[in-house]
Amino acid sequence: MIPTDDSLLAARAGAPAAFTALVRKHQRSVYSLALRMLTDRHKAEDLAQEVFLQLHRSLHSIESDAHLLFWLRRVTTNRAIDRLRQEPRYVAVSLEACTDLESERHEGDPLLQRRLREVIAQLPPVPRAVVLLRYQEDLDPTEIARTLGMPINSVKSHLKRSLAVLRARIRDIAPTDFETRPT
Amino acid sequence: MRTHSRKWLCLLLLIARAATAAPQAQLQLPGFESLAAQASESVNITLDSNLLGLAARFLDSNKPEDAAARELIGGLKGIYVRSYTFDRDFTYPSADVERVRKQLSAPGWQRVVEVHSRKEQANVDIYILMDQGKANGLALISSEPRGFTIVNIVGSIDLQKLHRLEGHFGIPRLPLDEKPSPTP
Amino acid sequence: MSNDFDQQLRDALRPVDPDESFTRRVMSRIANEPTRSRRPQRARWACVALAASVLLGIVIFHHWQLQREQHGIEARNQLIEALRVTGEKLDIAYRAINEDSHPGAGESSRT
Repeated sequence: MIPTDDSLLAARAGAPAAFTALVRKHQRSVYSLALRMLTDRHKAEDLAQEVFLQLHRSLHSIESDAHLLFWLRRVTTNRAIDRLRQEPRYVAVSLEACTDLESERHEGDPLLQRRLREVIAQLPPVPRAVVLLRYQEDLDPTEIARTLGMPINSVKSHLKRSLAVLRARIRDIAPTDFETRPT
Repeated sequence: MRTHSRKWLCLLLLIARAATAAPQAQLQLPGFESLAAQASESVNITLDSNLLGLAARFLDSNKPEDAAARELIGGLKGIYVRSYTFDRDFTYPSADVERVRKQLSAPGWQRVVEVHSRKEQANVDIYILMDQGKANGLALISSEPRGFTIVNIVGSIDLQKLHRLEGHFGIPRLPLDEKPSPTP
Repeated sequence: MSNDFDQQLRDALRPVDPDESFTRRVMSRIANEPTRSRRPQRARWACVALAASVLLGIVIFHHWQLQREQHGIEARNQLIEALRVTGEKLDIAYRAINEDSHPGAGESSRT
């Protein structure tokens, strides 16, 4: 396996194997973002493919590994937001539709996690993207603001409101947990 | 004597005109520079009619929030926002906010909403300036333990459209009446 | 409690892999994209020279246009932010009034 930094250089030079390595390295993150934004496996894969196609065309402008990460997150979320805006707003997602969104098995309450994913899927496009970048990609508000091209105050506002919605919605699952604390 | 009488007549006309002049929709908002330095977050926006016109040219009708904004600002002449958040409770001097409130006791301004939310620990007052039966100005003052927000909108306002801002600009619709779907 | 909730969110949003053949499909699409044709060296340099001479004239105009666009975009962003803040505070008032109509959901007082 070629090291990532070398993969980027080699991919920019036109080596297919290097670009393949880049795709394999980042497909999980790109696909997961697309999947949780669009809540449809086929649409998510289609979008993820387009992101990597666009990456292939834009490789010359990618300066570093960090830049690549930023670019992938930005393009994936912006494309997903654009697609969602073309669709009816706030379409409720059924529990059955969320089976595709399940994470791998790990510790924790699977029912609660499923409910969380369901509620996140009901958020409007931009707050949904903010929550995913925060808790799936582990970005801080400054990085999220940069990725989405919005003021940091807006990011914090989206996070605050979305978390309040999430807490309220899952209270029926775990009524004594996750009580809202004054900020 | 004639000149003297004419001068008095002009002065009386001026006073009468002032008394019936259109009330001021644009408030004199302080810059709050000293507060901005202490605030953990601050928003200071001044958009007069020129800037609103410029902004309108860069609104993308394909984006729902831009389309909503375009629909709203059609009759507006200015939007002014001062919003500050602090790290600790009650650290901002209320005198600055009170100076703004005082302007809202001028003729024409009516307080239409005065609410206190214990949940949010916020007081929100909304004033409308009525001029010949039309809403020509809006002022909103929101006070919370750790901050305050003043919004002044000048021009012809559609209050229904303004309220429909909830749901745009990323603010989630909080389904107050909607119960969560039952779990399997 | 807040940390537990954050952790639950992280657990719920752990990334998942696409189909095993995803990479193959991406590379297949890239391979099928139309490639640039090779031009004779002389023609290529002629194109470059032509482009360079036109570019100089465009650069100045573009710079001016860019500045104007930046001001416009900044004004647009400020407008959206102003409306967002306004909507947020209106929402507080609206919910406080609604809480008043639904006793027990929250508390508020109203004049």
